[in-house]
Amino acid sequence: MIRFEAVSKSLGGREVLKEISYEIQSGETFVIVGASGAGKSVSLKHMIRLLTPDSGRVLVGDECVSEARGEPLDRIRERFGFLFQSAALMQWLNVGDNIGLPLRMKTSKSDDEIDALVREKLAMVNLEHAFDKHPSELSGGMRKRVGLARAIITNPEIILYDEPTSGLDPVTSRTIDRLINQLRDELGVTSVVVTHDLHSALAIGSRIAMLHEGRMVEVSAPDTFVKSDNEFVRGFLEAQYITTRGDWEKE
Amino acid sequence: MGRHALGTLRHTGIAVLMLLEAFRDIPFMFSKRHRHDVLHQQFLTAIKSLGVITVVGLFTGMILALQTGLELRRYGQEVYIGSAVTVVILREMGPFMTGLIIAASVGSAMSAQIGTMTVSEEISALEVMAIKPVRYLVTPRLVAMITMMPLVTVYTNIIGIVGGAIVGQTQLGVSITAYMDNATQFAENKDLYVGLLKSILFGIIIATVACHQGFSTTQGAVGVGMATRRTVVVSFLVILTVGYMITRLFYQ
Repeated sequence: MIRFEAVSKSLGGREVLKEISYEIQSGETFVIVGASGAGKSVSLKHMIRLLTPDSGRVLVGDECVSEARGEPLDRIRERFGFLFQSAALMQWLNVGDNIGLPLRMKTSKSDDEIDALVREKLAMVNLEHAFDKHPSELSGGMRKRVGLARAIITNPEIILYDEPTSGLDPVTSRTIDRLINQLRDELGVTSVVVTHDLHSALAIGSRIAMLHEGRMVEVSAPDTFVKSDNEFVRGFLEAQYITTRGDWEKE
Repeated sequence: MGRHALGTLRHTGIAVLMLLEAFRDIPFMFSKRHRHDVLHQQFLTAIKSLGVITVVGLFTGMILALQTGLELRRYGQEVYIGSAVTVVILREMGPFMTGLIIAASVGSAMSAQIGTMTVSEEISALEVMAIKPVRYLVTPRLVAMITMMPLVTVYTNIIGIVGGAIVGQTQLGVSITAYMDNATQFAENKDLYVGLLKSILFGIIIATVACHQGFSTTQGAVGVGMATRRTVVVSFLVILTVGYMITRLFYQ
């Protein structure tokens, strides 16, 4: 569904991605892990052309997103939902208007129809009561859930998550994990999650990929990932106190 | 030096392209979805600035009347402050002072808001939702500037002329009737129209510079501060330059 073909990218004179190639299958939850600066978020932003590769290309289905512009690019982007690390909510809009924004700007639905859809998505993320609140009145976890509701308001085929649990306490992090799994099960979406939280990655991932200094050093199912002999994977697992298969349990 | 010049040229090109895109999107502003945004920006541009505009306009007129009146009184011609103040305000000071105040208050706020949105990924979020940031953010501000700057300038002109009349009456012994008679005798419609043309161009300059600086913001909160400062400085410089060119064009 999403294919990276020898993608390289330099930012600020540093090569962040080094000819990486991988493919994400339809319906799977593909988790990209790695240390800060490994190129995870850069990789994610290439999928939706917030960044363009210096060389190589990114395909979504049969369409080359890295070469698309104008209307074709809009069509590709409409297939995606994106949860930003900061949630990226418009500060002057209330929660209801934030979530309904793509529908208000891109469709001819009436205000009543939009409000009904917004309330439906708010219920999915357990925030029915927050419709009239502003982002500044919400906790970090609530903002992420509002961001998630906005990401799914257009019923996208693919949802991209940029560090969905960063800055959250463990309980809220697990709530977000459950939501990601719930959306996968209920909506059948393809999910791509960038995180450095391995507990989260193991709980939600169909496959886990590890980026190290711009290169993909491991792509495998969670069961295989935790047993990997790759030195970078082992170091990453041990840094988060995950040393054996028994240390985690997939929901 | 060369790199700096190239950078300035590049930024100018990007800002002009953004402005062209914003103009192309103006027809969308008549839709129900955007009308509210335009009205909100018009409110911010005009109504929220009226307080400071009133004070600056009044004192500009009073200072002009006092300076010219004191000189004219040496020749017994103080009655001519009516035309002196009115012509200078209509042609130059009205649009110029309005431009500076709106650049410093509204332009800097625009830049700070868009800059904050840029560094907190809100602009990226709009792009991801296939919402065009220029249509959503720039065009309503541009339309608000184009429509409100002439109105605010007319208001500044009136307040400035009234300020001149107050000084004429209280300090130079020129009655309001004599002041107004002299003003209407020498001031021409052309003075008003050229001033209004300037105000529209100043509005376009402020919206373009502010939005471009906002979109170009990097480096978090520090970057937002720098973008805001650059907005005010660049707007002032371009307003001065364009103001001179328009005067030169119409009053050779």
